[in-house]
Amino acid sequence: MLRSVKGLVCHTPKLDHGHALHTTAKDWLSSTVSQDVRILAERSRAIFRTSENDPANHAEHHEGCHYSIPLQEVKAVFPHGLPSPFQQQIKTFNEACLMVRKPALELFAYLKSSSFAHPAIRYVIYGEKGTGKTMTLCHVVHYCARQGWLVLHIPDAHLWVKNCRELMQSSYNKERLDQPLQASFWLKNFKTTNERFLKEIKTQQKYAWGKRESTEEGRPLGEVVEQGLARVRNASDAVGVVLKEIKQQCHLGSFRLLVAVDGVNALWGKTTLRKEDKSPVSPEELTLVYNLRKMVRNDWNGGAIVTTLSQTGSLFKPSSAYLPHELLGKEGFDALDPFVPIRVSNYSPQEFESCYHYYLDRKWLQHEKARTAEGRDELRFLSGANPRQLQRLAGPL
Amino acid sequence: MASVSRPLLAGGGYWAVLSRCGGRGAAYSSVPAVSSRGGKQREASTRRTSRTSQFIKSHAPPRTERMAVDQDWSSVYPTAAAFKPASVPLPIRMGYPVKRGVPLPKEGNLELIKIPNFLHLTPPAIKKHCAALKDFCTEWPSALDSDEKCEKHFPIEIETVDYVSAGTSIRNPKARVVTLRVKLSHLNLDDHAKKKLIKLVGERYCKDTDTLTVTTDRCPLRRQNYDYGIHLLTVLYHESWKTEMWESEKTEEDMEEYIWENSCSQKSALDTLLLIKASENVSNVTKEELLSSEVVKSYRNSVVALKNEGETENNMSQYKESVKKLLNIQALP
Repeated sequence: MLRSVKGLVCHTPKLDHGHALHTTAKDWLSSTVSQDVRILAERSRAIFRTSENDPANHAEHHEGCHYSIPLQEVKAVFPHGLPSPFQQQIKTFNEACLMVRKPALELFAYLKSSSFAHPAIRYVIYGEKGTGKTMTLCHVVHYCARQGWLVLHIPDAHLWVKNCRELMQSSYNKERLDQPLQASFWLKNFKTTNERFLKEIKTQQKYAWGKRESTEEGRPLGEVVEQGLARVRNASDAVGVVLKEIKQQCHLGSFRLLVAVDGVNALWGKTTLRKEDKSPVSPEELTLVYNLRKMVRNDWNGGAIVTTLSQTGSLFKPSSAYLPHELLGKEGFDALDPFVPIRVSNYSPQEFESCYHYYLDRKWLQHEKARTAEGRDELRFLSGANPRQLQRLAGPL
Repeated sequence: MASVSRPLLAGGGYWAVLSRCGGRGAAYSSVPAVSSRGGKQREASTRRTSRTSQFIKSHAPPRTERMAVDQDWSSVYPTAAAFKPASVPLPIRMGYPVKRGVPLPKEGNLELIKIPNFLHLTPPAIKKHCAALKDFCTEWPSALDSDEKCEKHFPIEIETVDYVSAGTSIRNPKARVVTLRVKLSHLNLDDHAKKKLIKLVGERYCKDTDTLTVTTDRCPLRRQNYDYGIHLLTVLYHESWKTEMWESEKTEEDMEEYIWENSCSQKSALDTLLLIKASENVSNVTKEELLSSEVVKSYRNSVVALKNEGETENNMSQYKESVKKLLNIQALP
C-alpha cells in the first residue's frame, strides 16, 4: 500500500519538470492521502531534493540535495558537456538532477566575489577517479549560463590529442597541424550554446579564408562559425579566430567569459598522433591545442577559467595519478601557476544518504534488500562512497 | 616398547626432548636401548650367520644420545661444517608437509644440509676465538670511548679484509680491496662544491647517511689501493671547489632542487600582480617591492615546498591559501 502511494507521489515531477516541486506535491497529498504517509514523503523529499533550481541561490543548507535542470536547458547548455553515464541516466529518469556539493559552492563563492577588472583567475578541480569533477564543472557551467556568461566549454581536451583520423597541415602556419573533424564538431556545439553572443560580438579585423572567401571587419562572429562549419578545411582556423576575438573583446565588459576545460592535462602531455613520416606530434603542433593554451593563460580579464584534471582518457599516465603535478607535469604546472586548486573527494555520509535516497525514489534500486539498512551499508562499503562506483553498482540492482 | 620406556624416562630426566623425535632408535633411554641394542646385536649376530646378511651392517645409535646437556659445543662443531643430523641433538624438522602431515624429520634431510648453518659460531665459541686472538691485539685507546669522538678525530674510515685459509698459499686476491668511507659534513665544502662533488661521484654517495663510499681494487696490492683511494678523495675535493666555464650552462633539468628565483613561477606571479595593480590604477610599484611583500613570500615558500617535497594534502592546502591571498580572493561573498 505504502509503496504504491509512493510511486504515485513520484510521478508528479514528470508533469512539471521539477519546478515548484514541494507545492504541487503538498496540494496533491493533502487532498487524498493520510497524515503519516504525507509526513514520510515530505521528510524523504527534504533530505535529498531541493526546489531551488537556480544555482546562484544555492547555499550551504542545500548541500547534499539534488536540484533538477529543465530538459530544454540541458539541450541548450550542455550539448556535449555531460558525461555519458549521466546522459543515459537523464534519458532513463526523464529528468536531470545534479547534487549540490561543497566544491561547487566554494567555486560559486569565489566567482561571485572576484573582481572582473583583475586578470582571470584559474581554478583547477582535482581529485581521484570518479569523485565528481566533471559534474562539478557542469554545475559551474550551468551557473554561469544562468547568469548570462559566454561559456566556452571544452568537454574533454583528451579527444583532441588522440584518435584523430585526419590530420592536415595548417594553411595558416606551416608548422602546425589541423584537425577538421574535431574542430567542426566543437563549433557546432559552441553555436548551440551561445547563439545570442554570436550575433552580438563583431569581428575586429578582416580574415581571409582562401583566395575568394573572407570575413570582413565588423561582421558578427556567427559568420566565422558558419564559415568553419561550411568549409571543414578551415574549421580549426575558425576556432582560433573565435577564441582570439572573444579574448580580445572580453575586457570591454559587455559579457563575461567562462573558459571551462575538462581534462586540461591533455594540453601539456603527449599525444598518440603521428605525422606522415611517423614522427610523434607534440601538443603545441596542433592548432586547436595551441589556441586553447592561449586561452588558459591569465593575460585577459573579465571572466574566469575553471579546469578539471582527468586521468581517465589521459595518455601515458598511471591510473592512480590524481595530484596536479602528476597529471599536469612540470610544463603544465608552470603554465597554470598560480591557480587555486579545488579538491573533490568521495561522498560524505550525508551526500551518500542523499544519493541513495534519490536512487530509491527514482525506483532505480529494485532489489528488495536494497531498501534495508544492511543493504545501504553494503552499498556504502562496496562503493567506498565513490560516486562512480555507486552509480555502477546501482545499475544492475 | 615405547610405553615401557616412558616411566624410565621420567625418572631418568634425560632424553625428555628426544622422546618426541620420530625415527627409529633415537627416543629410548640407556636401559631399554641397551636391551634393544643387545637385542639387535643378537638379531644381527643370528642374521650374520646366514649368507646374505654379511652385507647388512649393524646400525649404531647416533652420537646425540651420548651427548651431555652441558657439553662443550665448540668441540662438536669447531669449524664450519655441513649439518650432521646425528651430531646435532635438536629435533629440527624442515620441508613442505603433505596434507595433514608435518615437515620431514632431520634424518637424511637434504634441505637442512643445503642451507648454511652457524653452529660453529655460538657465543661461547666466539668468546674462545676472542680469547685466542687477544694476545695479538693492542688495547683500544681509552680516550675514544664514544662514536662521536671516533668520528671527530678519525673522519675517514678505511676497511680492509684479511683472508686465512687452510692451503698451500697465504695469498688471497680478495685481500687487496680497500673501502674508504667519509662523511661530507667533515669536509670543508660550500654549497656549489658539495653539489658538484655529489654529481661527480654519482652512486657512491648515500643521501640518508651523508657518506661517500669509495671502493678501490684496481691495483694488485693493498697499499697501492689505499694510496689510490686517498688520491681520489683529494682530487674530488679540489675539483669540486673549481668552477669551470661550462658550468654556467647548467639548465633547470640539472638542478637538484627547485629554486624559485628566476623561475617561470616567479615570472607569472609578478606578471599577474602587475596586471592587478595596473587595473587598480596603482602605479609605480616596483618588482622589488612586490617580491618583498608578505603574500609573495608565502607564495614562494608554498611553491618551493610543493616542488621539493612532492604533493601532500598539507602542501596543497598551503599552496591554495597562499594563492588566494596573492590573488586577493575572498571565500565568503
